[in-house]
Amino acid sequence: MEIEIKDYQGMKVMALSGEIDMYSSPALREEMMGLIDKRVTPLLVDFKRVPYIDSSGIATFVEGLKRMMSYGGRLKLIGLLEGVKEIFSFSKLDKVFEIYGSFEDALHS
Amino acid sequence: MKDLVVIKVQSDPKYLSVIRTVTVKMGELYGLSGSAIEDIKLGVDEACSNVIKHAYGGDTHQSILVRYRMAKKGFEVLIEDHGVKVQPESIEGRNLDDIRPGGLGVHLIKRAFDIVQFDQKKRKGNRLRLVRFKK
Repeated sequence: MEIEIKDYQGMKVMALSGEIDMYSSPALREEMMGLIDKRVTPLLVDFKRVPYIDSSGIATFVEGLKRMMSYGGRLKLIGLLEGVKEIFSFSKLDKVFEIYGSFEDALHS
Repeated sequence: MKDLVVIKVQSDPKYLSVIRTVTVKMGELYGLSGSAIEDIKLGVDEACSNVIKHAYGGDTHQSILVRYRMAKKGFEVLIEDHGVKVQPESIEGRNLDDIRPGGLGVHLIKRAFDIVQFDQKKRKGNRLRLVRFKK
């Protein structure tokens, strides 16, 4: 999986590309926690190029969200493909995470 | 030879993608629907991740044997290791309303398969039998 950190209209965006599994999630965790340790908010995560996520990936985002909530930060997940969105929904996390269809939606929320 | 496919994979997470690819291919060969294939891909991935984490304690130099076959009941996957014995009662996942990291994998395995059963006869290591009924 590739992880690119970008700035978009003054906000940090983590653009992911590839499958998130037990192999790739440690690198994802390291990148995300690095930003969270700097109290970045909001943190936008671009999921458009993520075709697959397993429970280790989900756990990484739950951990990140909990840490961000401790300082009032907002984690926004953008562009989830149907299969990935379905995993968030199955695990009842679609009610916990801020999930947006597009950057425009995420910016105006 | 029975109508089956067997793969032996090193217990390194980097090979989980190989297991997923083979699982998808087997699902296609056995005529499973697209959504069923997505479910079994995730279910087998989660089960093999558990082997690496729990049975082998993160040791990436062991082996995982995955057998696929179309049985009378449906699509069957056997996952074998020679690691620490897993207690079946310990594979309960968290309550899905309890939002915390971890405990989701078991739910994803049980969502994909109608039978999730450890073979108690296996002396050393574990043999997990997963069956998705023909629908």
